[in-house]
Amino acid sequence: MTSELKPVKEGIFEVGPPPRLRGAICPECNQKFFPRPMVCPHCLGELQDVYLSTEGKVYTYAILRVKPPYKLPRPYAVGWVHLEADGIKIHTLFDPEKLSDLDFGRQVTLRVGAIGVDNNGDSCLRYYFTPQVGGEQ
Amino acid sequence: MRQVDIIGADMTAFGPQIETPLVELGARAAIGAIKNAGIKPSQINIGFFANMQAGNITGEFTVGQNILWEAGVNRIPVFNVENACTSGASAFNLAWTSIISGMYDVAIVVGAEKLVVPNLGLLQAGATELNVLEGGVVITNFASRANLHMDTFGTTKEQLAMVAVKNRQHAGMNPLAQFRKPITVEEVLNAPMMADPLTKLSCCPNADGGAAVVLCAAELSNRFTSKPIHVKASVLVSGIYDQLPDLFKFEEDLRAGSMAYEMAGLGPEDLHVVECHDAFTICEIMHYEGLGLCPVGEGGRLVESGATSLGGKIPVNPTGGLLSKGHPLGATAVAQIVEGVRQLRGEAGDRQVEGAKVYLAECMGAEKFGDAKTCTIIILQN
Ligand SMILES: [Zn+2]
Repeated sequence: MTSELKPVKEGIFEVGPPPRLRGAICPECNQKFFPRPMVCPHCLGELQDVYLSTEGKVYTYAILRVKPPYKLPRPYAVGWVHLEADGIKIHTLFDPEKLSDLDFGRQVTLRVGAIGVDNNGDSCLRYYFTPQVGGEQ
Repeated sequence: MRQVDIIGADMTAFGPQIETPLVELGARAAIGAIKNAGIKPSQINIGFFANMQAGNITGEFTVGQNILWEAGVNRIPVFNVENACTSGASAFNLAWTSIISGMYDVAIVVGAEKLVVPNLGLLQAGATELNVLEGGVVITNFASRANLHMDTFGTTKEQLAMVAVKNRQHAGMNPLAQFRKPITVEEVLNAPMMADPLTKLSCCPNADGGAAVVLCAAELSNRFTSKPIHVKASVLVSGIYDQLPDLFKFEEDLRAGSMAYEMAGLGPEDLHVVECHDAFTICEIMHYEGLGLCPVGEGGRLVESGATSLGGKIPVNPTGGLLSKGHPLGATAVAQIVEGVRQLRGEAGDRQVEGAKVYLAECMGAEKFGDAKTCTIIILQN
């Protein structure tokens, strides 16, 4: 069962439903961060926990064809999603079942699922973004 | 500010050298550079050794002291420097700083790496970094940039392949290069796909190798050599990490480049020959743009024009670059300086750029939030 698996790294996301990425915001600088730094790197002030937007746009991506790390699917896609509502771009896996739907600017939605293994070689949960059916609008 | 010259340089061949220990790779280059400088080992005041992976691959540390002992250098301060692919240029920057500060007069910089190891696998940035855990590897970082560059500026996969073809042609004129047999655009495009659009021939090979240079305060260098090479600029920057990277350009190149040009009192139009960090074909195209050889977005068309080939307006990577010369991480950026010395002394053989007077070396390493963690630029003049 998916629910028994651990996240690839603790504290990065909540499994849900709905799944959510755990970022941070500096109330002084009004700047968001992911993953959460120790303090705000601009003012060294305390950060507040914040859930990031679960929707964004594909900024760019790449498909790895050679032997993957962490027993990820072969091939798999990684890249960058622009979370426009949060003002940051984050690095992410993309839905390995929907590689052909990836495109620049395509709307994507956050998911969490069992993909690959962690540093101990145990199956684990990873966050990924999946292209929205119906295209860019 | 005190001026600094390079008075000696040497390097080993790059490529698999399975039987040669790391210390020997570094020491051969160091001994060669000291002899080339015409100095005694005891005249060197401070030493720097650049390496990236020995701690991971063979578990060695403080290797620089072992290398310099083989080259007759002991007692003096020795620093072991790791800064990813720019380790060598970072060590050079420290050596240069140590002389301009007035503290030391003569410094040696050695870079060496043993990377041809069975079952090494893909190099990763660190097993606790989130982007690595989420499937990011070095080649996907650059394939992502390549795809975005193609989508944004119309750069073609043929133009990307032309970088590999050009650098292989240059390597044919460099006896120390790892791969010297010419290749075609079709062969690059039809090689095994690693991460679209980058095929196996779009990626630099792992290599073993060593390189070394000797620096000297300019007012003393004529004691040792009649052909000192002047260091006009040495710049090292790290990333901004604002989590809003523009992945179609190298912000670090643009920033370090403008600092280096200002320091040297020169501009991109003054350059005669350039070496850059072409770990993947897309890198060289983006470095053209970052260094001001062409506007951002025009790099693909620049390589296609032939301007960056030997005989062109501004030859780039006459040694074959990382793509064909090979990429022994810690040695790479020192070898770029060795090439600068040879080009500016007129000692570069078949790949000599006629009348070269100004040389620029660029190197870049590692990534965090889409920004390079280290970028170096060195400008030399004869
Ligand atoms: Zn702040």
